[in-house]
Amino acid sequence: MVYLVELWESIRDFLGTGGDVLYVVMGALFLMWVLMIERYWFLTGVFPKLKKQIISDWDARKDTTSWYAHKIRDAWISEADEKLNARILLIKTCVAICPLIGLLGTVTGMIAVFEIMAVQGTGNPRLMASGISMATIPTMAGMVAALSGMFFASRLEARVRRAKERLIDSLPHH
Amino acid sequence: MNKLVKSLLVAAAFSLSAGASSAYAQDEAKSLDQLLELVKENRAASQRINAQREAEFTSERADKQALLNDAKRQLANEKARGERLQAEFAENEIALANKEQELQNALGTLGEIVGVARGAASETIGRIATSIVSAQYPGREDVLETIAEAKEVPTIAELEELWLAWLTEMKESGKVVTFNSDVTLLDGSTENRDVTRIGVFNLISQGEYFNYNDAAEEIQPLGRQPEDYVLATVEAFEETETGYEGLYIDPARGQILNLATQKATLEERYHQGGTVGYVITVALIVGFLIAIYKFITLGIEGAKMRAQLKNTANPSDKNALGRILKVYQENKTADTENLELKLDEAILRETPRIDSGVNIIKILAAIAPLLGLLGTVVGMIGTFQSITLFGTGDPKIMAGDISMALVTTALGLIAALPLILVHAIVASRAKSIVHVLDEQAAGIVAAHAEKKE
Repeated sequence: MVYLVELWESIRDFLGTGGDVLYVVMGALFLMWVLMIERYWFLTGVFPKLKKQIISDWDARKDTTSWYAHKIRDAWISEADEKLNARILLIKTCVAICPLIGLLGTVTGMIAVFEIMAVQGTGNPRLMASGISMATIPTMAGMVAALSGMFFASRLEARVRRAKERLIDSLPHH
Repeated sequence: MNKLVKSLLVAAAFSLSAGASSAYAQDEAKSLDQLLELVKENRAASQRINAQREAEFTSERADKQALLNDAKRQLANEKARGERLQAEFAENEIALANKEQELQNALGTLGEIVGVARGAASETIGRIATSIVSAQYPGREDVLETIAEAKEVPTIAELEELWLAWLTEMKESGKVVTFNSDVTLLDGSTENRDVTRIGVFNLISQGEYFNYNDAAEEIQPLGRQPEDYVLATVEAFEETETGYEGLYIDPARGQILNLATQKATLEERYHQGGTVGYVITVALIVGFLIAIYKFITLGIEGAKMRAQLKNTANPSDKNALGRILKVYQENKTADTENLELKLDEAILRETPRIDSGVNIIKILAAIAPLLGLLGTVVGMIGTFQSITLFGTGDPKIMAGDISMALVTTALGLIAALPLILVHAIVASRAKSIVHVLDEQAAGIVAAHAEKKE
């Protein structure tokens, strides 16, 4: 319990020195990970059943070689592909905007620095230091958030592609 | 010319006098002998007169000598007196110095006390005059001023005043009091109000923070009140009758509040972005409007297509899938190759309408940070211009252009972030609809055909 309180304290300190932009980074990171976990869950939990259903439907068909059969197979694959690829674009977008949010933090931090300079002059570097930490911490946080998502997002894409190819391979024309 | 006139006048004067003397001579002397007699008589007379005058002079000369001697004696006397007085002055000077030394000795440690009391009094004046307690009890520093300026040893009563002043300040600094006082408002008018003083830190009245201006001895409102969440506590604090209520106070006795008034509000900061900032805002608004439009139209289209999917037997003209199914119904008898070409043509007709606008959002999302960069460059140009004009001595001169540079950058990013997200959502919607048409339409047609058989 004490450990949790200390952890919470350090997080609050971090948020305090980094400024409000960190909340936006946090939001983007949260959204990204929720979407990615949902995709992993879909790939491991939901999709195998769907795949089995499609394969059994296909195997039950008598006609698998006519133009009609080809089109129906394509449509089924496309449907499955769409389900697999749902929200992947959003995940990739989240990964892409994280460094942008960090950059926004840099700029707002620099605005704070120059505001302090306008009011107090350049005499006291300590006053400017808070603005500078507001500029650098969100940049770092944005980078870290993007890096944490980038690896898993690309792995996810590869898995989706592989899953689709396996499905295509499992629907032979008899 | 002048010279000529002068000589003429002189000549005239001579001739006149000559005329006069000849006339006189003509009166007295009838002949030359008589004239000679007359001249001789005159000479004798004038010799007599001269002798008389000589006698007078010699007698007067003796008198003057006596006067001179008198004056010389007087001078000698005065000189002697001057020397005597000078000696006396020097003696007195020494005596005075001795007496002062004696006085110093007699004062002893009391002299130091005078200094300490005077120093303490003048220090206290600084504290008390600027303290907001003086807003409630004006004129407290007047007594102290007499102590601070006095040359004599302060009396016990005066020292007690100093002591009392400190005690009052100490006691009042721990109190939260409401009192009635005149308040000078921002428009220059004065108003009688109930003012609450929180220790020596803040003055509040009617939901606003006030400052005590010690130079004018007036209670004045802040030029700009702090943020709303800070002000809200003031109102809540004033409304409480009993118990406790939280309140933001300024431990720097009003300095932080004064500095806070110089901070730019969000709106002011937005306007620092200038024209480029407004252009970015327009880009954001246009992007959002397109996104909302696409969101609605794609949502309606998707819903209609889902409904059509459940009822493939009766294709409707109102949605893309229905129109494609119609093409199939019209070309039922055609062979598969022909049918596929017809279907492809129908799909090709539908897709541009669905995709339209999505790319504009993407372009706007890409343009917004570029516009921000433009604002940065424009601002930096302004900065360097002011450096060439005024030098780098005063950072405040450059601050305006630098803030423009930074604010536009921030605005560009702020506009780009939601546009990118919105584009991702709209694009995936459009993509799924296009997929249904592109890859599944033929399948739906085929399934429909099979079901009939």
